[in-house]
Amino acid sequence: MTVTPARGPHPVTKIYCPSHPDAVLVEDYRAGDMICPECGLVVGDRMIDVGSEWRTFSNDHVGKDPSRVGDAQNPLLNGGDLSTVIGKGTGAASFDEFGNSKYQNRRAMTSQDRAMLTAFREINTMADRINLPRNIVDRTNNLFKQVYEQRCLKGRSNDAIASACLYIACRQEGVPRTFKEICAVSRISKKEIGRCFKLILKALETSVDLITTGDFMSRFCSNLGLPKAVQIAATHIARRAVDLDLVPGRSPISVAAAAIYMASQASADKRTQKEIGDIAGVADVTIRQSYRLLYFKAAELFPPDFKFDTPVDKLPQL
Amino acid sequence: MEAGSEPLPLDILITNVVCVFRVRCHLDLRHIALKGANVMYKRDEGKVVMKLRRPRVTATIWSSGKIISTGATSEDEAKIGARKCARCLQKLGFQVRFGAFRVVNVLAVCSMPFEIRLPDFTKQQRPLASYEPELHPAVNFKIKPLTASMQIFSTGSITITGLQNSCSPPSLIFPHPKPRSLLPR
Repeated sequence: MTVTPARGPHPVTKIYCPSHPDAVLVEDYRAGDMICPECGLVVGDRMIDVGSEWRTFSNDHVGKDPSRVGDAQNPLLNGGDLSTVIGKGTGAASFDEFGNSKYQNRRAMTSQDRAMLTAFREINTMADRINLPRNIVDRTNNLFKQVYEQRCLKGRSNDAIASACLYIACRQEGVPRTFKEICAVSRISKKEIGRCFKLILKALETSVDLITTGDFMSRFCSNLGLPKAVQIAATHIARRAVDLDLVPGRSPISVAAAAIYMASQASADKRTQKEIGDIAGVADVTIRQSYRLLYFKAAELFPPDFKFDTPVDKLPQL
Repeated sequence: MEAGSEPLPLDILITNVVCVFRVRCHLDLRHIALKGANVMYKRDEGKVVMKLRRPRVTATIWSSGKIISTGATSEDEAKIGARKCARCLQKLGFQVRFGAFRVVNVLAVCSMPFEIRLPDFTKQQRPLASYEPELHPAVNFKIKPLTASMQIFSTGSITITGLQNSCSPPSLIFPHPKPRSLLPR
């Protein structure tokens, strides 16, 4: 039961159960014990709980936050300084005759940190507009930090870099957003975001996977309110079209839009080209062009178990 | 210009040769604009654009005496065009001395007899090729030994830019015909 000091293959924990040295100890926070899950031996006791002392709620901004450790910093992102500041005075002596505090230390953080914080706020706003999850936002923040510290793109607008980082993060997470979607939530033009995108890839020496038609299907179809069967059909059509190389040189987004059009026109939920174009950010002439290329082999493109509301030969010919 | 197994005759056409040269004296752009023939004066940008008919080149003239000439189809033509431009300026009364002629950029065009599957091609040529269908329908391919780049379209047309001189194209540009996916039609 004695606590033996660590040696060898236990770099993280300093204590371990003597009979099960490889077992990961379970912490019982109520009693302050570390218990071995294999044999139930209490290995360490009087463990100090490093959680917060009180609970604080976000709508409780009543002046004092009773937490004595301060905010959770973002040390990875903000230069992580552990510097301290002089606190505001409390006694009468620290205020001069007008009631202003004598020691005014509103030392702002470095301009670098401030620029980064502004960018993070901007990224948060943009991501919020298109409901991106936290992991993408975190990845974007990390990318921005890397790019910012490299200073290669120093002349470019921070917002442009932030938008491009957001685009890259979505791609890296496997849920790409089109440039037009990112444009919609950013004030930067598509051209500038595209330029920054290429520069960032070069600066960070990474590359991203190519976009495929399937990446956008679920989003476009649910925005259009199409049922699952139509979505599956559209995905199948687009994939077959690319495999058969019916649409060389066309952007996957245009092919996806045309596939959705074909699938929806064959089902009971028909959508017009304009509606699909609005959602996908594709011009309806572009959908028409891609659709014409798909129309030839329409019969081969549909999945075998698709229920046709409008048969293949009755599909609109544009 | 081998294409892997069978040799294919490929024509690489040089479409544009860009060169810079100096006339070694200050030029009065307003005088050129008023007295010169076939010139356009762009006062906001501080330059005069002179278009020659034969060889068909366009020369951009700055008041410092530096001139950029574009539109020639070969290096020799570029030089002839540059000298013609300098001669025109000499006739307008400036003390012109032709100097520092240098070819800066050569653009060429080529066409493959087959179509190319861009996504597969990019996957194989990962760090050198970059393809963003949303931004541009062509693959940007960097040719390693030269600092030149190619734009490859799915129809098989290729545009080569960034060459230093027109002699390099054939030998160094096509070491990689094999990875290209040939499209059976």
